[in-house]
Amino acid sequence: MLRRLLQIIPTILGITFVVFVMMRSIPGDPVVSLLGDAYNEENAIKARQDYGLDKPILVQYFIWLGKLVQGDWGASILTGRPVLQDVLVRLPVTLELIVLSMAVALAIAIPAAIIGALRQNTWADYTATSVAMIGVSVPEFFLGILLLMVFSVGLGGFLPSSGWVYFPGTCQTVVCAAGLWGNTQHVLMPAVALGVGRAALLTRLLRASMLEVIRSEYVTTARAKGLSERPVVLKHALKNALIPTVTVMGLQVGFLIGGAIVVETLFAMPGLGTFGIDAIIARDYQQVQGFALITAFAFVVINLIVDLTYTFLDPRIRYA
Amino acid sequence: MSDDDARPVRSISGGSVQEAELGAARRVGWTAKRDRADSPFAQGVRRLRRSTTALVGAFIVALLLVVALFADVLAPQSPIASDQGHTFERPSWSYPLGTDQLGRDMLSRVIHGSRISLAVGVSSVLLALFVGVPFGMIAGYYGGRADTLIMRTMDLILAFPIYLLAIILMVIFAPTAGLIGTMKVTGAIAIVRIPIYARLVRGSVLSIKEKEYIEACRAVGVRDPWILVRHVLPNCLAPIIVTTTLGIATSIIVEATLSFLGLGTQPPTPSWGWDLKANVAFIQSNPWISLFPGLAIFVTVLGFNLFGDGLRDALDPRLK
Repeated sequence: MLRRLLQIIPTILGITFVVFVMMRSIPGDPVVSLLGDAYNEENAIKARQDYGLDKPILVQYFIWLGKLVQGDWGASILTGRPVLQDVLVRLPVTLELIVLSMAVALAIAIPAAIIGALRQNTWADYTATSVAMIGVSVPEFFLGILLLMVFSVGLGGFLPSSGWVYFPGTCQTVVCAAGLWGNTQHVLMPAVALGVGRAALLTRLLRASMLEVIRSEYVTTARAKGLSERPVVLKHALKNALIPTVTVMGLQVGFLIGGAIVVETLFAMPGLGTFGIDAIIARDYQQVQGFALITAFAFVVINLIVDLTYTFLDPRIRYA
Repeated sequence: MSDDDARPVRSISGGSVQEAELGAARRVGWTAKRDRADSPFAQGVRRLRRSTTALVGAFIVALLLVVALFADVLAPQSPIASDQGHTFERPSWSYPLGTDQLGRDMLSRVIHGSRISLAVGVSSVLLALFVGVPFGMIAGYYGGRADTLIMRTMDLILAFPIYLLAIILMVIFAPTAGLIGTMKVTGAIAIVRIPIYARLVRGSVLSIKEKEYIEACRAVGVRDPWILVRHVLPNCLAPIIVTTTLGIATSIIVEATLSFLGLGTQPPTPSWGWDLKANVAFIQSNPWISLFPGLAIFVTVLGFNLFGDGLRDALDPRLK
């Protein structure tokens, strides 16, 4: 277990370092947009010195890393605000979006896959698999636009098309609005837009592994010893069929983070996705580093959770 | 077909020395010829023709190819010529899909947009294939240091959430219009997809290189490059073909997503993702102009997904 935890560090170092090098290989630097009209060679050189941009890339990376260890994520070059503060304000938005979209995905995928597998080659199965096929082929942003057309434009603004109301207790500053109903209204469409694609993918996968498991001998045994259908399906079959599904869910995190960027852009949500893409386009090095760090961290933590879920689903899998 | 079934199936790896020693050389030669006509590939094609989903997918893909190839003939108007007198026209006889905020005919834009989607989708996957497959073969066949070096690099790319990497690459490449812009998007998506092929092929090669027919080739002094191309590659082709078809669907979504974020091929080149991004601002007053580019993306992706699914069932039942 400890070794598994230690493996996290090189992954995070690798991702943040590559992002660091890549961002600095983009032609031009943030000093140009920082100085604006006041730009001239003299000011530019001075600004670069102030932000340590004149040093070699490797040195800059270690300076960033050194500060990070002390809990200092640096400050945005363009706005001057501490990066950590910005990240903390935006984190709850994206976290809620991703967790809810995963919940949407599972809430659709598990029943659909069970019905599909138990009633293989019936109309219920065909419906489930066809809908799943359509689901994997719809890009998140197009589904989001369709939802906007129905619930925002069609129903006269029943659900708001943009903005955000925080879940009570998650707001880091005093100025932001918070409220349970407002939060639900704002998060519903983005979560569905992001979740449906994953639901479709998981349905296909889970149905296939359910079909395999349901024919295995221990399921026959469970039935033979007189268990009713419910515990056979839920306790014996589903639990084992979930293992490959959980693996793929872990791999899907990369897509979810990307999807969050797209969905947050579409619904104009103040989350980490919009934060990241704005920072990348503006070449705000410090903000991009903060975004890369939190993304890499989320990536490894979720994969760790996936590994731990295995031991829950199949106690034979152990981490020494 | 009855005599086909009665005849014992023999696997012959392209006429090696061992076959010449089998005595009835003429009969072997004849059998080898017949075997080729009934190769696993031919069997796959036969199964493919029986699959309805694959045929529907193939039909959609073929239709799209025709539309993309003959876009200049099929489009009623220029996709980039604006007409200030006819902005935001509703769908009518003269503008079947309406016009956008610059008075451009949406039907013509959707028709021409198919070119970018298909060109980027297909060529990025092929580019990734031509780079990833040799790397995977070298890593799997030679093992050792080459394997470690190649696969660690691939792991590093895979550790990135793919959208994050594609977005940063596009910012580095600086998105532009026209052919160069399309090539940049193609390159960015290809880089992200290389590790998928390298991993897939390495896995297959690891098991294939232990087979007796490879040992036989080595024993008679066949050179490594020839073994790789003539004997190893054909045996890992099925998963490559399936991954490629399904990969085109994913690449088309990634391209549309990049365009939607403003990082794809730039205007005036017509692109579905960009049109969605530009038109969604007018969703309250003119929802239909966002509908059609999105539908086009959906149908294209669905076509490749259906075709790829059918291919998988036909070529490699194990992958089901």
